[in-house]
Amino acid sequence: MFDLFYQFLSNTGYFLADYRHVIMIFVGCIFLYLGTAKKYEPLLLVPIGFGILVGNVPFFKGFGIGIYEPNSVLHYLYFGVTTGVYPSIVFLGLGAMTDFSSLLAQPKLMLLGAAAQMGIYFTLLGALFFGFLPKEAASIAIIGGADGPTSIFLTAKLAPHLIGPIAIAAYSYMALIPVIQPPIMRLLTTRKERRIKMPPGREASRKELIIFPVVAVLLCCFLAPTALPLLGMLFLGNFLKECGVVNRLANTAQSAIIDTATIFLGFTVGCSTQADVFLTPKSLGIFFLGAVAFSVATASGVIFGKIMNLFLKEKINPLLGAAGVSAVPGSAREVHLTALKEDPTNFLLMHGMACNSSGVIGSAICAGILWSFFI
Amino acid sequence: MFGFDNITAGNGWGMAVVGASIVFLGLAVLTFVISQVHKILNLWEQKDGFFNRYKKQAQIKKPKTVKAPVTIQRHLPSVKELASIYRPLVEQLKQPFDLFQLFEISNKMDLAHPHLSIKYLQEAGVLVPQGDGRFTWDKQKAN
Repeated sequence: MFDLFYQFLSNTGYFLADYRHVIMIFVGCIFLYLGTAKKYEPLLLVPIGFGILVGNVPFFKGFGIGIYEPNSVLHYLYFGVTTGVYPSIVFLGLGAMTDFSSLLAQPKLMLLGAAAQMGIYFTLLGALFFGFLPKEAASIAIIGGADGPTSIFLTAKLAPHLIGPIAIAAYSYMALIPVIQPPIMRLLTTRKERRIKMPPGREASRKELIIFPVVAVLLCCFLAPTALPLLGMLFLGNFLKECGVVNRLANTAQSAIIDTATIFLGFTVGCSTQADVFLTPKSLGIFFLGAVAFSVATASGVIFGKIMNLFLKEKINPLLGAAGVSAVPGSAREVHLTALKEDPTNFLLMHGMACNSSGVIGSAICAGILWSFFI
Repeated sequence: MFGFDNITAGNGWGMAVVGASIVFLGLAVLTFVISQVHKILNLWEQKDGFFNRYKKQAQIKKPKTVKAPVTIQRHLPSVKELASIYRPLVEQLKQPFDLFQLFEISNKMDLAHPHLSIKYLQEAGVLVPQGDGRFTWDKQKAN
């Protein structure tokens, strides 16, 4: 009887746990705290945080329980991540929720979205410099796009063993936008530049809004066909929304479908951070490089905004460059708040959303380009 | 391998330059295209007006349009009727008279289409030119 009790005890999480599990459970609790108490990206941090808790309950390997064990339930759920299915579905919903009218009103702001992608390529060089393999470096670099689904999609294709740390880094930095971006924005701009007011753009017609996803998907995907799973779904979702004849589909895409995909994506990514897989020196390196990627992306957007002002008659507020990363709508909101601090009558939210939308397109194109380099 | 050697070995420089160029080029092209969409749409929406204007111009050039006054004349009274309308006016004027005087009086009387009517009477020979720019009233033709 004692043997049976000891055998049971030896299979419990209490017996199998070591310091790494405790660390990861602590990280999971931080995610839950940030998501619920601080309301930093709660739709992402709550499922991820809970997934970290579930994924780090110690268990006896071989029972078919863990996410990395074939035929386990979690493994099947994780299939949507490793194949890139969840990110594509998230993009469908994202497209159905995105309003490109502000971008159509001021197309030049799209260039800021392109400039902010420079963080990706800078980090690619940085990751290679620190000894990562090219495919790993490309997966780490995409964190600079500040787009969780895109990061997961590319990593699933190039370096599946790094999905956990890269996804956690990407979502962490997206949640930490209010901490990371404002100091960089203030550092790179003068007070006078931050106070530049921009007139509201013209109103985009319905026909323009309908034509845009068709034109954009053709132009972008002919350029980078490997971005099709992301951009194809993004613009399909947007077309469903704008065409006005399939409101049921658009409503489902922007509610039930994206919500379901987000739950499974966040939860399984959280589960994938098993302590023995996650707590490695590589993960620390990824977190460091992720911070670099995000900061360089923000800085390059702002600097490009200043460069554009050298040539434009009607000046743009260079803070908008920070919204060129695709963290929708967090970075646009942060740009707006930073401008408001300087001038309470300066409203940049809609302009910021234009840059944000172009950032989403830009980072998906970058993912396609990086993937195509290794095909 | 670490450092710049690893970047070179992994073709990092090439990937960074080419990748950055492609994404910039792609978004620049998209920027240009979407900045033109509303202009193209405006042109498309104005195409009916453009073609209608063209059609009108073409119609004016056609010889058929010369017959247009005839069509208008159909709406005017006959020569006799016109003469009966204009006779009282002519009687107020000294013979011979200027067409301008007749036009002024008809305008005061608020008669319809005075220009066309006077022209019609002139073509019918009711108003006879005297060669000095003045006209007389032919009573026989008026009856």
